[in-house]
Amino acid sequence: MPRGQSVFRDETKLDINYVPSKLPHREQQLRLLKEFFSFALQSPERMAQRVLITGDVGTGKTALCQRFGADITHEASTRGIKLRYIHVNCREYRGSLFLILQHVVSIFHPNFPKRGYSPEEILRTLIQILDEENTYTILSLDEFESLVEKEGQEAIYKLTRLQEMRQNKPQRLSLISIMRSLKAIEQLDASTRSTLQSNIISLQRYSKQQLIDVLNDRVLLAFKPSVVPEGTTGLISELAFSENGNARFGIELLWRAGKYADAEESDTVLPEYVRQAVSSIVPAVRRSDLATLGFHEKLLLLAIARLFKENQKASVLLAEAERAYAVACEEFDASPNSHTQLWKYLKDFTNLGIVETEVSGSGSRGRSTTISLPRIPAHELETELKNLLEKEGQNQ
Amino acid sequence: MKIEDVFCSKIRMKILTILNNVGELNVSEIARRLKINYVSASTHMQTLEGEGIVQHKMFGRIRLYRLNEQSPKAKAVQNLIDVWEHQKRE
Repeated sequence: MPRGQSVFRDETKLDINYVPSKLPHREQQLRLLKEFFSFALQSPERMAQRVLITGDVGTGKTALCQRFGADITHEASTRGIKLRYIHVNCREYRGSLFLILQHVVSIFHPNFPKRGYSPEEILRTLIQILDEENTYTILSLDEFESLVEKEGQEAIYKLTRLQEMRQNKPQRLSLISIMRSLKAIEQLDASTRSTLQSNIISLQRYSKQQLIDVLNDRVLLAFKPSVVPEGTTGLISELAFSENGNARFGIELLWRAGKYADAEESDTVLPEYVRQAVSSIVPAVRRSDLATLGFHEKLLLLAIARLFKENQKASVLLAEAERAYAVACEEFDASPNSHTQLWKYLKDFTNLGIVETEVSGSGSRGRSTTISLPRIPAHELETELKNLLEKEGQNQ
Repeated sequence: MKIEDVFCSKIRMKILTILNNVGELNVSEIARRLKINYVSASTHMQTLEGEGIVQHKMFGRIRLYRLNEQSPKAKAVQNLIDVWEHQKRE
């Protein structure tokens, strides 16, 4: 391939936000989801649906919902029904019901004030807007766990029982809750749980062959003809399969391997580039996971990565991390958050599997938290975070 | 109100330009953008609403103002601002 030419035809087709027109091996689940919402295309005012979608990371939950959303809104518009599909990642809104609803309202009224009212008021506002515009909404709450964790029972109850407070009025808001497993909702009381659990779609992990099919579809869309040999997709599917059948990981690997091929000015995405890509991307933490972190979470993690990079130690203290964080804040022109907030961030990183923490036991005076970074090379993490933070800075 | 009384105010012209550009806003946000106090912004909004140029909609306690789409006066104001802004860009 001549110098400067790329193996990609359209690399956006490998982007995490791209929703393919067909979803290999998820056709049945898509049909089922459409079946659950068939009423929305006939008499949407008669009911509001609640569906729960579960499945591990990279089993196609988000893609399934997005595809469904695009299909059903298209179908509704041909029938003259005003139906909106809104997909919200709860973690991006720190699991706050208020922020999530604020975002939904801002889709209808972009300049709706950002403060000065309660979650209940904004929920009522949303329904008022939907009533006035005679619109029906299917709200997908991705990473639903974070909403349950942050808001607990009451918020979920309010969301699911909303319609009961407005008897004999059109039903406006249906919910799709997307989560990794049902474990997160075990803490909810039986009645709230039962309203959520009436319709469950479970996505199983992809098999190796299924992963190959998913990858081949994307290869056709994203790459020039015949630049990705069979061996490459085979190797990627093996790797993605060993990562719990995670298709998203496989697609990301495919993109990175393509980038390595471009960097080497090769006209073929050889398996060797996959090996290079896999060593540069640590499966436990993906770009997508890092991208969903908040600005200050990224700063703290950047500080931790730098500490490990400079010290070559097995663990660092939270106090050290806090000092490094203050430096990072200065660099990015932000005022540092409090200790308690940082401690919360650290807990989130632990939940995501990015770091591990240990609190010193009894016997010593006071308690100190030690942090270790067992899975990710510090320099990789630093580079990734720095890129993300700089991008964020440019967008501001 | 006479036409010169409505349009003699710099602030009111700025409010109309902002609403024409962004669609709808609450009084606090109008006040913030124009760096004037809330009461002053609110008074101007009442004047403009009294003339039928703007209208408001309530969402609970939130009041959002926008140009009154049904009003010929608002349409005339919109045309004036659009022509003015367009010429400025040329």
